[in-house]
Amino acid sequence: MKLEPIDDFERDLRQSLERRPAPPGLKRKVMERRSWLRTQRLQSRSVIWQRLAASVVLAGALCGGWMWHERQEQRKGEEARREVLTALRITGHALNEMKAQLAAHHSPNQE
Amino acid sequence: MAHDWQPDFEQLVDEHQSMVFSLAARMTGDRGLAEEIAQDVFLELDRNLGKMESAAHVSFWLRRVAMSRSADAMRRRRVRCTDMWIEIEEGHGATTEDKDSPMGARLEQLLATLPEPQRAALILRYQEDLTPEEIAATLDAPLATVKSQLQRGLKLLRHKAQSHLKEYLRVKEQANEA
Repeated sequence: MKLEPIDDFERDLRQSLERRPAPPGLKRKVMERRSWLRTQRLQSRSVIWQRLAASVVLAGALCGGWMWHERQEQRKGEEARREVLTALRITGHALNEMKAQLAAHHSPNQE
Repeated sequence: MAHDWQPDFEQLVDEHQSMVFSLAARMTGDRGLAEEIAQDVFLELDRNLGKMESAAHVSFWLRRVAMSRSADAMRRRRVRCTDMWIEIEEGHGATTEDKDSPMGARLEQLLATLPEPQRAALILRYQEDLTPEEIAATLDAPLATVKSQLQRGLKLLRHKAQSHLKEYLRVKEQANEA
């Protein structure tokens, strides 16, 4: 016995391979998962932005703290410099006075 | 590239769910797995919706991704053809009942026992009515390979039908006599 011609066989195959209806809940499940994924994506984006904002604030605070510290150090340095200059001026003034006294003491008029 | 086509996702799911599910079900032989694959394929479509340029592009893309995802799932599960046949026998009772011809259902079962590349080519040829060129593009395979798979798959299927479907031949013979 021979099989029918290939055209008939192919026709039967085509009939047997008609598209099946999708399960009734497929579309609903897809839409639910899509909605859930979108919510998750939005939440994760929100978390990312929150972390980014927190990082910026922290970096700003650290930077501000560092700048404040540097300013304080600079101010202390300037103050120390002023004190040193004042001390030098006082010392210089005292030395000048001492020098003048010594000069007056050894002047020929007094001899 | 800019394009004017504005697809509606829900409508696309409505239009293509049967196609995607059928491809996955026939490739994997597992209704539950096919439903999962179909869901994943549509969710991937949602992520790539902006890249779709036309309705034809969507159909092509869905077929391609459905076949690829099904092949991946098969590789993961390492489903053997014989197992698939059993699953179809047990899990696809509704399908068999739904068919007008029980011979058609038998043919579908026999198709599930073919090697994966031949099955893929035959499913796209006879379920989706694609040309060998379109099948080659969908499966990203050389045209000559696809043609060979179609020929070999059809030959093997006919051989299996000859061996297993005695009643198929008997009914056909009776029909011819009548």
